[in-house]
Amino acid sequence: MPMIAFEHVSFAYPGAVSPVLRDIDWTLVEGELAVVAGPSGAGKSTLLRCINGLVPHFSGGTFGGRVVVDGLNPLTARPEAMCWHVGFVFQDPEAQFVMDRVEDEVAFALENAAIPRHEMRARIEEVLALLSLERLRDRDLATLSGGEKQRVAIAAALALRPRVLVLDEPTSQLDPQSAQDVLDTLAQLNRDAGLTIVLAEHRLERVLPFAHQLVHISGQTTQGSTSLVAGPPREVLSQIELAPPVVVLGRALQWSPLPITVAEARRFGPSSTKRAAPAAVRETGQETHGLLCSDSAREGAMAAEETTVRAEGLQVAYNGRRVLDDVALDLHRGEVTVMVGRNGAGKSTLLKALVGLVPLQRGQVWVGGREASHMTVAEICRQVAYLAQDPNALLFADTVMEELLITLRNHRILATDAPINPDALLDALGLRGKADAYPRDLSVGERQRVALAAITVTAPSTIMLDEPTRGLDYDAKAHLLELIHGWRNAGHAVLLVTHDVELAAAAADRIVVLDGGTIVAEGRPAEVMPMWPEFAPQIARLFPGTGWLTAEDALAGLQP
Amino acid sequence: MGDTLVRRLLRWLVYLLASLLGVGAFLYPFFAREAGAEAVGAAASPVFLTVLGGLSLVALLLETQGEATADAKRIALLGVLIGLNAALSFLETALPGPGGFSPVFFLIILGGYVFGHRSGFLLGSLTLFVSALITGGVGPWLPYRMLVAGWIGMTAPFVGLLVRRLRAQARPAEIVILAAFGGLWGLAFGALMNLWFWPFATGAADQHWQVGLGLRETAQRYLAFYVTTSLVWDLARAVGTAAMLVVFGRPTLRTLWRFQRRFEFQVIATVDGAVTGDDAASVAEVHA
Amino acid sequence: MHPLAWFAWVVVASLSALLTRNPLYLVLLFGIALLALEAVSAAPRAGQLAGTERRGRATPVSPVRFALFAIPAGAVFNAALSHFGETVLFRMPQGWPLLGGPITVEALVFGAVNGLVLSTLFAAFAVLNVAVPVRDLIGYLPRAFYPVAVVAAIAVTFVPSTQQQVRQVREAQAVRGHRMRGLRDWLPLFMPVLIGGLERALQLAEAMTARGFAGRRANDAGSAPAGSSTAQVGTIGGLGCVLVGSVLRLMPRWSAWSTPLLVGGVALVGWAIWRTGRGVHHTRYRQHVWALRDSIVVVGAVVALVSWVLWPASRAYAPYPRVAWPGFDVRVGFGLMALILPAVIPAPQEEAHADDRV
Repeated sequence: MPMIAFEHVSFAYPGAVSPVLRDIDWTLVEGELAVVAGPSGAGKSTLLRCINGLVPHFSGGTFGGRVVVDGLNPLTARPEAMCWHVGFVFQDPEAQFVMDRVEDEVAFALENAAIPRHEMRARIEEVLALLSLERLRDRDLATLSGGEKQRVAIAAALALRPRVLVLDEPTSQLDPQSAQDVLDTLAQLNRDAGLTIVLAEHRLERVLPFAHQLVHISGQTTQGSTSLVAGPPREVLSQIELAPPVVVLGRALQWSPLPITVAEARRFGPSSTKRAAPAAVRETGQETHGLLCSDSAREGAMAAEETTVRAEGLQVAYNGRRVLDDVALDLHRGEVTVMVGRNGAGKSTLLKALVGLVPLQRGQVWVGGREASHMTVAEICRQVAYLAQDPNALLFADTVMEELLITLRNHRILATDAPINPDALLDALGLRGKADAYPRDLSVGERQRVALAAITVTAPSTIMLDEPTRGLDYDAKAHLLELIHGWRNAGHAVLLVTHDVELAAAAADRIVVLDGGTIVAEGRPAEVMPMWPEFAPQIARLFPGTGWLTAEDALAGLQP
Repeated sequence: MGDTLVRRLLRWLVYLLASLLGVGAFLYPFFAREAGAEAVGAAASPVFLTVLGGLSLVALLLETQGEATADAKRIALLGVLIGLNAALSFLETALPGPGGFSPVFFLIILGGYVFGHRSGFLLGSLTLFVSALITGGVGPWLPYRMLVAGWIGMTAPFVGLLVRRLRAQARPAEIVILAAFGGLWGLAFGALMNLWFWPFATGAADQHWQVGLGLRETAQRYLAFYVTTSLVWDLARAVGTAAMLVVFGRPTLRTLWRFQRRFEFQVIATVDGAVTGDDAASVAEVHA
Repeated sequence: MHPLAWFAWVVVASLSALLTRNPLYLVLLFGIALLALEAVSAAPRAGQLAGTERRGRATPVSPVRFALFAIPAGAVFNAALSHFGETVLFRMPQGWPLLGGPITVEALVFGAVNGLVLSTLFAAFAVLNVAVPVRDLIGYLPRAFYPVAVVAAIAVTFVPSTQQQVRQVREAQAVRGHRMRGLRDWLPLFMPVLIGGLERALQLAEAMTARGFAGRRANDAGSAPAGSSTAQVGTIGGLGCVLVGSVLRLMPRWSAWSTPLLVGGVALVGWAIWRTGRGVHHTRYRQHVWALRDSIVVVGAVVALVSWVLWPASRAYAPYPRVAWPGFDVRVGFGLMALILPAVIPAPQEEAHADDRV
């Protein structure tokens, strides 16, 4: 008896031209954990929302077919009744809280369902224990870390004792430690409490080890039905395009059975394969870039040593606590610098200090050769584009083009005198045809590129990105990587702060490791990354000592 | 949702009586003097007036909350807008201009204008409630403040009637009318609030020696009281609110209308296991 | 201390301030409120981490500072406008409208007393504001106002995160070259916050729906509830009675009818609230323990109230026509002193934490 069964399910949002789901069939057995993957916009969220009736009851729209969950039809039962069978956790932990204290938040659904107080107490004790939240019970939600918040959201969903837990990209807004925290919790809930779990997730490499089923949705097929592949992860992975680096490597080398974790891949790894000289790989890579460069990019490459931003002896403190201590950093034209570090290491503070958003206690910053303490934030940012973690904080105009014009107006530049033609900039960012769109209607990746357009329309020499991969799928990440390489080749200096080690490995010319407010390591990725286990990409862990970082490195090294 | 003629009649009767009572509570000192009764002292006592104002507020809250909080979307919308507005009231000190100006009226007016009189009333009264909670401003004056702010939001849809009559939708005239409306309420808010503590300032209560002071003199005195104590602040509030409506009104309205469609959305029919939804432009909230 | 005990205390304290114009009692009440304020401000707040208890809650104006403004202002204002009393200080030219006439000591005293009344009210409620956490103020709204309570709870939760968002937006706009030059430059700060808030409201609504919150629809399945019409009629009847009662109160011939009408009207509205509340199904998780301390405080409040009723003679005070020393009834004084109990009864150390848990 399956816990969840979809039969010929189709759904279109109100006013949509074509349905987002068409003729879906899918079943999940009780007690299994399913991971739902696929590009944004393919219908992952919609699929999940069919399970508890949010689609169509909350969204509106046209629904066809039949869903049965725990013996109930969500279409007739409505979400109000489905909440006793299906717990739902959303992407952004903060946007789902009604109350501001842990216990109150967990109690909210129970209070609302008029559960008697003694039973409420028993249930709350139970879920708090299940999610190891006892010590946090009296805490203010605002003081919790992202991972703790998401665990509270799970506890709140489980308070009604549902048999199915559905999570829509619960880790996409979290840093790696918090994400791991949440995913470990889920594995344990599935294993120990026997909960059926459906999880939409981009970080496949972290969840595949404990998934029973992998569901891959990838938009419409030519026959007009939604292409949905479901089955054991190993089988599905061999059929789909997007996959973690070990899987890509394993597929390319026809390893069998296909390894889905680094541990599994070790059997095929270093000992069983020949390898080429590590140093050569990286140089070959750079050579290729040189060859691919256009004329203008070649000029950029020639100016590679030109420093755009220079910082020396930076010291910053918040409320008497030192966040940055004696930090020195240079950014050069035609170079991508990637900064990694744990949460609270001071990465965001450093970026803000470079553009003058936080006061320096000590130290100096030079931007384009000028001492920055004599410049306004606006003057600095004309040369240094800085994209904060949440691009939504930037966007408020009615059209995409208007966002660009607002920045130009802020800098008192006439649209006709813009250093970059706004239309050409939108084209370059893959936003052709979106000039008149309402920015807030676009996808996460597109919104981010609109924000990038809005800050780079002044043709800055330096581009700094803070955690740009939050909420991005593989496609959007690939697009971002292309942009970063494009900027480098055009002679910009790029500073990228990220937790995403795979992106860091693919993008970086130079790695800077920040810890406790000081720079503890700096150098070429092949040298630095393998030394720091938590910042080492899968391939570096699989082939220690080779200097390989990406699947391409490994392929090039293994098959000269 | 069962919006029959009888129900609508009952609802407007509640509005009418509660508002009459509220206005009565504010103006009671004037009448009490006019009557010249021996009972004036007790009749116009602040305790009695607070009870009248409180009753009016409670009746209006009870009536408006039903429909304006009919589903999770409207509850969340109201909660978020009120929280945002209460946070804005912290900005009071940061904003330029003389004291007395408060940015909260801007969103109360536009919220009422876009989301209807019930949401408007709740937006107004609860904004002041929540900001009193977080600034430690709970006191016997709170029901009065909530009542007047509620009226502001509640009457905002009347501007819509005028705008539609003049066919001024999405034209500059719409903003001008809203700004005038905001300016008038900015003044009226202060004038009404002063009435609450006016008895304390001139001792309306137990002044047997003043009995027989006519309505005209009382009004004159009040005018003097008003001009000296609060006209400057109220002018700042009126001008500030009107200016905010002129400068931010259009983009804010565009945004609110854009989202209004998403919030008013309803699933309206179920046919053969297929649920179809449509933009419910004629939800009770809108045509009321 | 239990919130209901505080409610009883503040009702009696503010009622006392409104009922009397005797400055001696008012000064006493003001002092008691200040002591209580001192006591509650010093006490650690239940169930919250040190340093977070005041999050999102601005520090209120101190009652002393309020009094320093209100008392002189009231005195000056009243003296300028009221030209009664026999102890004339000096005279303003007769020709001046309203201001013209004698300036008297009596008018000064009367105005100062009015300022003192306001200050005492302010101090009493300042105690409530500090003593009872925001959550409990919302939690004790009558059951009929559950939707309003949920809205208020969401709003309170949303205030600090809005402030944080404002900071983020300010930084994000600054790096696009945004500068504050005029009123119009607030727009790039305000709009992203508004839009972000509206987007978040949609997410929140979805999350609430997924957790079984359906608003009113869940209770009456889409149709107009029968109970609500009855309650509506009750409200209308009650309001009508109160309205008529208040009008009759002004007519000496009919004023006997007024009190029954007022009481009946208030009762009807109360019944309507109760009736509406019956249709709301929810329970409360947090429960406060009613301790001995709370009973003592309530008894103190009752004693204070009773002392007014038993010995009303010295309650009223008017400086006109010639200012005189107000009377002071020791019995009333002792009665009022009973309001000081919350400031002097020591709080058991553990109770503060236990009351949140149970």
